[in-house]
Amino acid sequence: MADEAALRALLLKGLAGDEAAHRQFLTEAAALLRAYFRNRLRGAPEDAEDLVQETLVALHTRRDTYDPNLPLTAWMYAIARYRLIDLLRRKKRRGEHTAIDDLEIGDADPEFDASDAKRDVTTLLAKLPEKQRRAIELVKLQEHSVEEASKLTGYGVSDIKVSIHRGMKALMKLMAEEGAA
Amino acid sequence: MKTNDLIDMLSKNVEPAERPKWRMRMMATLLAGLVIAAVLVLTFIRMRPDIGTATLPVLLKAGFSAAAAAAILPLTMRLMRPGAPIGWRAAAVLIFAGVSLLAAFIALMGMPSEMRMRAWMGGGFPWCIVEIPLFSAPAAVLMVWLARGLAPTRLTLSGAAIGALSGGLGAMAYAMYCPVDSVAFVTTWYVVAIAICAAFGALIGSKLLRW
Repeated sequence: MADEAALRALLLKGLAGDEAAHRQFLTEAAALLRAYFRNRLRGAPEDAEDLVQETLVALHTRRDTYDPNLPLTAWMYAIARYRLIDLLRRKKRRGEHTAIDDLEIGDADPEFDASDAKRDVTTLLAKLPEKQRRAIELVKLQEHSVEEASKLTGYGVSDIKVSIHRGMKALMKLMAEEGAA
Repeated sequence: MKTNDLIDMLSKNVEPAERPKWRMRMMATLLAGLVIAAVLVLTFIRMRPDIGTATLPVLLKAGFSAAAAAAILPLTMRLMRPGAPIGWRAAAVLIFAGVSLLAAFIALMGMPSEMRMRAWMGGGFPWCIVEIPLFSAPAAVLMVWLARGLAPTRLTLSGAAIGALSGGLGAMAYAMYCPVDSVAFVTTWYVVAIAICAAFGALIGSKLLRW
């Protein structure tokens, strides 16, 4: 697994627009997050992958809040911890008592290896406002560039970019709500 | 969707991120909050009528409030970034509050005992602890809006910091009206008013700042 320096370099390259570096960063981050959440949610391994996905979207949409002068892992785990606490709060509100004290901390169940989350992001995408959904589908799921998406939809280039960004943030909210449902 | 597919989706056609100008945006937000507070003060309770002769105390009170806001600003900015250590920034706020209360004590001790009560309470109920929070509310709303674009992970503390910072702005505007000029009054009740704003912020921060 990548160390702090390598991970930080990948994120910074991703911030500069390097697609491969960004993919690599998210892949490494996913492995670290999986270990982090599985250790803390031993009783509910299926929640762990939901949280991994939710946190990846959070890291992606909020990556401009990373201050390059500070440690990257502190930033990443602060967001992960926040997503975990948010999940526990949501569960508590719904009357599912998974107090943080009850969570077993230890090795993750080696049998549980699905990287499939409980909820499906594709179905959540359908709940986004039309413009955001179209922009994400064209640019992020199909092989279109932002310029092509702009021509296909009639929206301006910056409009497409903003729609993607807002859509991703909205998607993370939907994932969080769905994760507790 | 598998996690790997999600990663593909997130990284496909990734755009170079513009360097966010948080500092500029924060300054613009503070300025807007201050202007709104000033307009509200001028509309609802008006500038004090003796402003011609009272310019200096008004400026001093506004300056004191600005110093309070300046003491709270670094903490507020820090809390918007996940995982960034707070360090001296919380201490700066507490030291400012401590020095203010100490100044009130020294000022009161330096005057004859029969004048102390009036100098401290301003000759009645210190209404600024009600009015400053009211005039601060719009600034707080603007700052919450800014904060939601960032990523605060300690919501209660962030709410308190936003409340206190907006309280400092509200106090700056309130200084135009405030008829009491005694040092002990200002360094006590303005600080209490800002603390009340912080308490409100802490209470509702965890709801408003969720992301």
